[in-house]
Amino acid sequence: MATAVASPPTSAPPRTSEEERVRAARRRDRINAVAWRLAGYAFFLGLWEFASGRLMDERLLPGPVDVLRTFGELWASGKVPGAFADTLTRIGIGFAIAFVVGAAIGILMQNRLLNGFFRDAVTIGVTTPGLIWALITAIIFGNRPWGPLIAIVLTTFALISVNVAEGIKALPKDLIDMAKSFGVGVVRRNRQIVIPHLAPYIFTGVRFGFSIAWKVTVLTEVFSSSSGIGFEMRTASQLFRLPEFLTWILAFYVFALLLEKVVLEVIERRFFAWRDTIKS
Amino acid sequence: MAEITVRNLHKEFGVGADKIVALDDVNLDISGHVFVSIVGASGCGKSTLLNILSGIETPSHGQVQITEDGRPAAKGYVFQAARLLPWRTVMDNLLFVQKDRSEQTRARCQRYLDMVQLGDKGRKYPGELSGGMQQRVGIARAFSTEPDVLFMDEPFSHLDAITARSLRAELQNMWQETRKTVIFVTHDVGEAVELSNRILVFAKGGHLADDIDMPLPFPRDVADPEVAVAKANVFRTFEQIGALAVS
Amino acid sequence: MSATDTRRDTGPADTAAPDTVDELPRRRRSHPVVRVLRSSLAGRIAFPIVCLLVWLLAIRIVTSIWPFAVDVLPTPTQVFSFMWDELTGETLAPRNVYETFGISLRRLGIGMAIAMAIGTVIGLGMGLSKRVNAFFNDWVVAILAMPNLAWALFCSLAFGFGDVGPIVTVVLTGIPFVIINVREGVRNAPTDLYDMARAFGVSRADTIRHVLLPSLMPFMFAAARYAFALGWKGLVVAEVFGGEDGAGWTIKFWYDAHRAYGVIGYALLFVVFALLFEKFLFDRLSGYFFRWRPEVNAADVVEQRFDAPGVATATATADSGNGTHATTTGPKPERGAGGDETRRSHDG
Ligand SMILES: Nc1ncnc2c1ncn2[C@@H]1O[C@H](COP(=O)(O)OP(=O)(O)OP(=O)(O)O)[C@@H](O)[C@H]1O
Ligand SMILES: [Mg+2]
Repeated sequence: MATAVASPPTSAPPRTSEEERVRAARRRDRINAVAWRLAGYAFFLGLWEFASGRLMDERLLPGPVDVLRTFGELWASGKVPGAFADTLTRIGIGFAIAFVVGAAIGILMQNRLLNGFFRDAVTIGVTTPGLIWALITAIIFGNRPWGPLIAIVLTTFALISVNVAEGIKALPKDLIDMAKSFGVGVVRRNRQIVIPHLAPYIFTGVRFGFSIAWKVTVLTEVFSSSSGIGFEMRTASQLFRLPEFLTWILAFYVFALLLEKVVLEVIERRFFAWRDTIKS
Repeated sequence: MAEITVRNLHKEFGVGADKIVALDDVNLDISGHVFVSIVGASGCGKSTLLNILSGIETPSHGQVQITEDGRPAAKGYVFQAARLLPWRTVMDNLLFVQKDRSEQTRARCQRYLDMVQLGDKGRKYPGELSGGMQQRVGIARAFSTEPDVLFMDEPFSHLDAITARSLRAELQNMWQETRKTVIFVTHDVGEAVELSNRILVFAKGGHLADDIDMPLPFPRDVADPEVAVAKANVFRTFEQIGALAVS
Repeated sequence: MSATDTRRDTGPADTAAPDTVDELPRRRRSHPVVRVLRSSLAGRIAFPIVCLLVWLLAIRIVTSIWPFAVDVLPTPTQVFSFMWDELTGETLAPRNVYETFGISLRRLGIGMAIAMAIGTVIGLGMGLSKRVNAFFNDWVVAILAMPNLAWALFCSLAFGFGDVGPIVTVVLTGIPFVIINVREGVRNAPTDLYDMARAFGVSRADTIRHVLLPSLMPFMFAAARYAFALGWKGLVVAEVFGGEDGAGWTIKFWYDAHRAYGVIGYALLFVVFALLFEKFLFDRLSGYFFRWRPEVNAADVVEQRFDAPGVATATATADSGNGTHATTTGPKPERGAGGDETRRSHDG
């Protein structure tokens, strides 16, 4: 470094050129990052395409092109929107119940006695594989509609509880005290301090909860349901149509990923922008 | 005898619009067993100078040479925060910076731990010590390598006044005993006047603005009128330079 | 925070759950027995009892009022006698519970070891180089978001029945967590300590050994914890779809045999198994690895005190739990590694 900058050429005209150099360097960095990212896409998609048909039988592992084609066929058959709608409805209802239950438990856990009571429930909820709930509810409830719902609630409520409880625990006591000292009433205090504080925690819970909920929903549908993505997957596997099977799950995966990464994250950034500014 | 030579030292951070000049054409000669304090307002490049002298940073241009009887000098550093490895015991922290791990070296480390009155804490982890104790471990670590030149960057600024005072006394004793060359950065003019033979005053923008000799004998008592006068003089210099503005 | 503070203002609770907590401080000087009854230990003991009562009540309702609500609902006696048989080694399944869990655990161990090895390399690369990061980043996120059902199916098709499919599933579910944690560890490298080592002229090898590796440890540990929890879930799914033995296969065995008590009993064994690992193995290991971090325990203590409505209650309850909040939530990031991505851990 010492040798590279050994001569001091800093007078007026070179300075602008130096700034240009910096900007050029930044631009080069950005282009580099994009290039490498594209290289990553090319590499992994290429690997997938190569593996299908060469390393593994095409009928077992369809490549990206096959998946797209299969999806086109499924779409043409008209089954896709209905299956998506069924699964999404199930996720919506199940997750709404899980949210209410989870938030209630998170609030109740502030009490010491109830904290002890629910502590193990939350641990069990977090550690037990969703598949286990899917099997239990499937064997108990058979094809009845509330089997999958109960499975969704049992796998997701704990995450919401944890986030709500953490949010409450981190409530800004100093701000609340400040408000009290100025004689701000309970309602205003809740509206201005407590709710804005809790909202991001709850939202995070929702985001994580959703990412789990959709997976469990599909899983329960595989075992006990007569509609939805999971049901279509079961049908496809019973008919030994494996590319179709993979296409169903990949299609919903892409859909859920978009919802999660794009929609929910945009909302989060939009509404909780103040959080980032505080952090930085 | 340690010799420090700094010629036309220049250091800048960043490029283009957010360029910051931390040191601007600094020239400096320090030789022998002296205690040199560097004072100046916040952000005027004191730590940067120390980091360059100790080899943590490289200069943008200019030369720095630190020798002991013609060969490169051994250096020690006491940081503002102790910078101990939290996952190693106190003793292992000292051993970490040694050239070898022989019995002799261990004995030497133990001796310096004793010197900062932490002889019995060798097996503790830094997290189990108070902030003042950690800082003392940092001092023992720097001395335990028996460096020719010792750099200290505001070593007492995080501590409470009483702990700082006793550590200053300890430092003074250790310096008297070992007769190292010490380069000591501080915000506190009183501290500088109490400890040093020589005070370098830095001004905003990283100029070396003044170089004050402090010939008074050690140990110095703050209540001593001569010391008080010297302190007042340094303050006056500060005001003239405008270095106190943001201190 | 002082005791008076805590007493005056029960903090969060007065806004969120007024009547549940506000009354606690008022009764602070109550009888010791009452205090124990209100403690978290009492709640903990009450939980299984209440669960059992709800269960019995459900059976009552099903048999008398609402017979078509369920297909089957086994009684607690059936389930517990099944569990007892399993634990004493008597079983109708091909293997007893110890062999079964042994098989699964071996797969989990191998898969985790592979995931840790590969993930560490990729994570180091991503942490050190922006280009490597750009190359892998989106795919790590994509793999992370993939349902383990997809991996399990794919692997059972690709590798047939046996060990390979489940192991690969464990690797694929675990690896993103390792990568993200290691990357975070590298990004949070303690630069002040590196500078220190440099100032004292410490050799590169020593710096790696005494600074870099120990500073990565908390992240690696968090990674292992997540990889374990998630790998376990992935493994179960893989064994259900593509196994011929192991814990997942066995619960499917009872499912296919239509033994509801078998499924529930086995599920309870799963819970016990996971808890044993989480609480005993990982908490112990964490205590051993991070013994240099007294502030962890200190933080827990502080948190617990904050939990407690009053100081007196805190001392009265002999709730020796390290079960503060963070621990209860299962895998806990040792230093909040990975934030968002890592916490998205508990998928079905
Ligand atoms: N690594 C760095 N990158 C960019 N700028 C830096 C860096 N280190 C220091 N600077 C800048 O260089 C200037 C001098 O910093 P330095 O740390 O030497 O100040 P200081 O005199 O030690 O201040 P203080 O008394 O507050 O410690 C500051 O303006 C600082 O912002
Ligand atoms: Mg400084």
